[in-house]
Amino acid sequence: MFFHIVLERNMQLHPRHFGRNLRENLVSKLMKDVEGTCSGRHGFVVAITGIENVGKGLIRDGTGFVTFPVKYQCVVFRPFKGEVLEAVVTMMGFFAEAGPVQIFVSNHLIPDDMEFQSGDMPNYTTSDGSVKIQKDSEVRLKIIGTRVDATEIFCIGTIKDDFLGVINDPTTA
Amino acid sequence: MVRRRDEEDDDVEDEDYEDEDDQLLDDEDYDEDEDEGRGGGGSSRKRRRSDFIDDVAEEDDEEDEDDDDEGYGGGRGGRRQNKAPRSGSQFFDLEAQVDSDDEEEEDEGEDDFIVDNGADLPDEDVGRRLHRRPLPLREDEQEDVEALERSIQARYARSSHTEYDEETTEVEQQALLPSVRDPKLWMVKCAIGRERETAVCLMQKYIDKGSELQIRSVIALDHLKNYIYIEADKEAHVREAVKGLRNIFATKIMLVPIKEMTDVLSVESKAIDLSRDTWVRMKIGTYKGDLAQVVDVDNVRQRVTVKLIPRIDLQALANKLEGREVAKKKAFVPPPRFMNVDEARELHIRVERRRDPMTGDYFENIGGMLFKDGFLYKTVSMKSISAQNIKPTFDELEKFRTPSENGESEMVGLSTLFANRKKGHFMKGDAVIVVKGDLKNLKGWVEKVEEENVHIRPEMKGLPKTLAVNEKELCKYFEPGNHVKVVSGTKEGATGMVVKVEQHVLIILSDTTKEHIRVFADDVVESSEVTTGVTKIGEYELHDLVLLDNNSFGVIIRVESEAFQVLKGVPERPEVSLVKLREIKCKLEKKFNVQDRYRNTVSVKDVVRILEGPCKGKQGPVEHIYKGVLFVYDRHHLEHAGFICAKADSCCIVGGSRSNGDRNGESFSRFGGFKTPPRIPPSPRKFSRGGPPFDTGGRHRGGRGGHDALVGTTVKIRQGPFKGYRGRVVDIKGQSVRVELESQMKVVTVDRNFISDNVVISTPYRDTSRYGMGSETPMHPSRTPLHPYMTPMRDAGATPIHDGMRTPMRDRAWNPYAPMSPPRDNWEEGNPASWGTSPQYQPGSPPSRAYEAPTPGSGWASTPGGNYSEAGTPRDSSSAYANAPSPYMPSTPSGQPMTPSSGSYIPGTPGGQPMTPGTGGLDIMSPVIGTDNEGPWFMPDILVNVRKSGDETLGVIQEVLPDGSCKVALGSNGSGDTVIALPSEMEIVAPRKSDKIKIMGGSLRGVTGKLIGVDGTDGIVRIDDSLDVKILDLVILAKLP
Repeated sequence: MFFHIVLERNMQLHPRHFGRNLRENLVSKLMKDVEGTCSGRHGFVVAITGIENVGKGLIRDGTGFVTFPVKYQCVVFRPFKGEVLEAVVTMMGFFAEAGPVQIFVSNHLIPDDMEFQSGDMPNYTTSDGSVKIQKDSEVRLKIIGTRVDATEIFCIGTIKDDFLGVINDPTTA
Repeated sequence: MVRRRDEEDDDVEDEDYEDEDDQLLDDEDYDEDEDEGRGGGGSSRKRRRSDFIDDVAEEDDEEDEDDDDEGYGGGRGGRRQNKAPRSGSQFFDLEAQVDSDDEEEEDEGEDDFIVDNGADLPDEDVGRRLHRRPLPLREDEQEDVEALERSIQARYARSSHTEYDEETTEVEQQALLPSVRDPKLWMVKCAIGRERETAVCLMQKYIDKGSELQIRSVIALDHLKNYIYIEADKEAHVREAVKGLRNIFATKIMLVPIKEMTDVLSVESKAIDLSRDTWVRMKIGTYKGDLAQVVDVDNVRQRVTVKLIPRIDLQALANKLEGREVAKKKAFVPPPRFMNVDEARELHIRVERRRDPMTGDYFENIGGMLFKDGFLYKTVSMKSISAQNIKPTFDELEKFRTPSENGESEMVGLSTLFANRKKGHFMKGDAVIVVKGDLKNLKGWVEKVEEENVHIRPEMKGLPKTLAVNEKELCKYFEPGNHVKVVSGTKEGATGMVVKVEQHVLIILSDTTKEHIRVFADDVVESSEVTTGVTKIGEYELHDLVLLDNNSFGVIIRVESEAFQVLKGVPERPEVSLVKLREIKCKLEKKFNVQDRYRNTVSVKDVVRILEGPCKGKQGPVEHIYKGVLFVYDRHHLEHAGFICAKADSCCIVGGSRSNGDRNGESFSRFGGFKTPPRIPPSPRKFSRGGPPFDTGGRHRGGRGGHDALVGTTVKIRQGPFKGYRGRVVDIKGQSVRVELESQMKVVTVDRNFISDNVVISTPYRDTSRYGMGSETPMHPSRTPLHPYMTPMRDAGATPIHDGMRTPMRDRAWNPYAPMSPPRDNWEEGNPASWGTSPQYQPGSPPSRAYEAPTPGSGWASTPGGNYSEAGTPRDSSSAYANAPSPYMPSTPSGQPMTPSSGSYIPGTPGGQPMTPGTGGLDIMSPVIGTDNEGPWFMPDILVNVRKSGDETLGVIQEVLPDGSCKVALGSNGSGDTVIALPSEMEIVAPRKSDKIKIMGGSLRGVTGKLIGVDGTDGIVRIDDSLDVKILDLVILAKLP
């Protein structure tokens, strides 16, 4: 799920960035630092949409670095248990990615009538061959569990439910 | 009936007599029954009860007194009545106590009593009987029944009734323990299998002889063969009592220590009740270790019927049934397989189908074995199964379930598993499901746990707030997506996410291995923990560097219960693979040193910064080094447990090398302080900058033949599949050279002739001198402290030597590779510690007098000096030098020392060159050689390899000519022609163990000896004259013919 929230961060800026462009430098550094990161609590920071407030800088003893508390708005993406997502299959077995989130779909969470076919293009195929999941297929899946590390959110998803499964097959598209 | 006999019998009873007695005994049993029937009413009952009163009670002092009182009160004075006239039943009773189970008795006679017992006394009395004492008087039927009755009534009105209501407390129990004043227990050996019989004999004897036998009781334990216990005050009493008994070998009578007395009679608690469906394991026989399920328990006969997966070799069975020869000794245990009746029939094995009269089930009877649904039903002794701590594995249970296809039975089986659960299994908040009883499938949460009962808050509405459920009826409940940790069983320690729940089995996706694990819901707890908890499997621990199957290597970055995650040593990209224990070949513990981009030596624990590649900019201590690949630990790096794999030459060392100090020590121990090319010194480096080709001399340690000198150098391969590759020579064996390719991180073997000669160009780079690297400012501080300890060394060791041995020595002093002379002395003086560090500093010495001394006017003496001073080093004296580094460091801008140095050095180079005869041997370029160098190296009498006009021959140097060339007598013992050979055409023949040698350098130059051993690059030499044993660098040893 995406959220637009305000986060705060203490940015340290090297004195060489001081001057007229201080703010720009600060923002660009913030973007560089923050975008694409993941925190367990908020999920992945997708994009910074704006700066709310830059606090007063504090010179740090000894280094000359200045610490600015920066409040910024950003879009975050955090997967939740029970959430239905669309994802792209990246690796047979199978793993899918929805943006930065990796989702694993276990054998046990794939409908029973789908069978794994190994070979050049490993894939899951239904017994009648009408549905096929392979690399780059787009699937709709439901997250049944998440594991949040410091830098990564890992999910387990299922397609063994109504209205879940392949939504777009690369071969047919 | 067992009764007191007043007549005295002979001590010795013959067998017939005994039998007769037994007979009598039986008869009298009946008598007693009848008597008691006649005696009627309460009194008889009472009396009989009292009969069962146990001897154990006697241990209670207080009661003993009572006992006596009673005895006297009863008008039957004397000890005799008190002790002697006991009924046989009392003895049997004792036995009954020994066995936990009243129904276990095998003896018919006993059974009679027991039956009585069961009829008259409620079961729970059994325990309490312990606290009553034997009835002091056992009347004959003719005795005054009334009096007896009165006395009994009086007695039980007082004690027994009250006692009945009391719970025995711990304290009371404690009071019953035997003390020193109580009779002792003696252990007496008797014939095996006759324990009971012996006890009965003694009883009979007691009955017959009465008070003469001063023993108190006899105990035969079922589980103790070969011994019986006799309770008596004195050993003599025991001897007396056992005298003449056939079954007793009274040779040795052992006293049972008081402390152990209770153990003799305490009953091993058989708390594990074997009930139907319990899982057990077979302890003996073909099925040893197999899982079995109890189907029937016969407590009386101590037998259990179990259901097993048969291990039957049908063919063998068929053979046996048909009377054919059967191999006695089975070579193998047949694998467990379900019995297939049809198969059996095909082998003409007779299969009978019978109906079990008790259960009504049909069994197939094959050769006396019963089968049903493919399972073998086997009746075994309780002793041959173990029922404790049975943890059936998943597969085993699966097998048991397969044929029946009965979900219900599986559930039952599972619930029996719960019997083995640990305490504290359920915790508040656990989600549970009821698996048994009316509330089956009710889900809820644990609210409170009491001993056996778990209070749960049911999920369903309309139920009481909490329900108390026996913990055996509960099972943990999980839902897909839960993150759990396995806390018991084979997969203990693993964590993962529940993917699927199949009844009480969970399928978990392991966090680390990304594999599916099947576990019992019971074995897991919900946990957010991701680590595995285990950091070690076998000898491999987290963060170890390991060599894998396919010769790749890596660092263990995570340990799962059965696998490791290994960050492979592939610098281009982080590559993590999952490795099973068996795929690991070994742990790599050897410490290597490598060089970073700027040729600084990097060793483990040094902090490096990564200059290129995916992890550019990261920085951290080096944890492992292998094959030129560094594993750097950056705690800010959040992937791969903080480990980064990088090529050594895409890193640069930051700060000083921490481990320098010990590295020296280490190198000292390993190489005798010699072979430390990488950390050697500045000079070669300078050379390299100046005029690379010339550097070789320095590089090659002025050594003897090209062989060893080649080791460690960088060469280019000219021919063969690896043509064009460059690499470092790691080893030389005969004609083949093992070269570690720079570009491929692997070692290849190539023919020596395929190696390009001018390779050496690159070699100088190997010799990184920290010193020379003025730029390496950060490195220096760390070294500074070392210097002070250098100074004295140089003064003591080096300087005098320089003075004494000018020409040769200076070279060595200057040439890091020839540090032998000064340090050697030093070392031989028995100061290894200081020596250890010296090679490193050796380079620093050039400025010293030694250096300047030799070459007056050559211009090079000054050059280096100039060079050094340019670098800002105080040059003048050694002591000053000692302090030098610190001031020097900061002031040195990086490039500075280099540039001038190269220029200024060139002139010096040729000078340096000479001292390194290695060059000659190497037949490497250096045309420069020859001038004044051989002095130290080629000596008369040594064996050399002469390579003239393409062919190689052995020869013995006869004379060293002033121009450096030598007169060599060809032939391995110098018997051939004499030729003049240039040093470049000669190679010293490396001595082998137990060769005669001549020392070509150092203070012992010219001395001969015998090489008695080789240790790395050091040779252990016994000097001929003094018979002293010295350790010298092999390089300065030359073989004698």
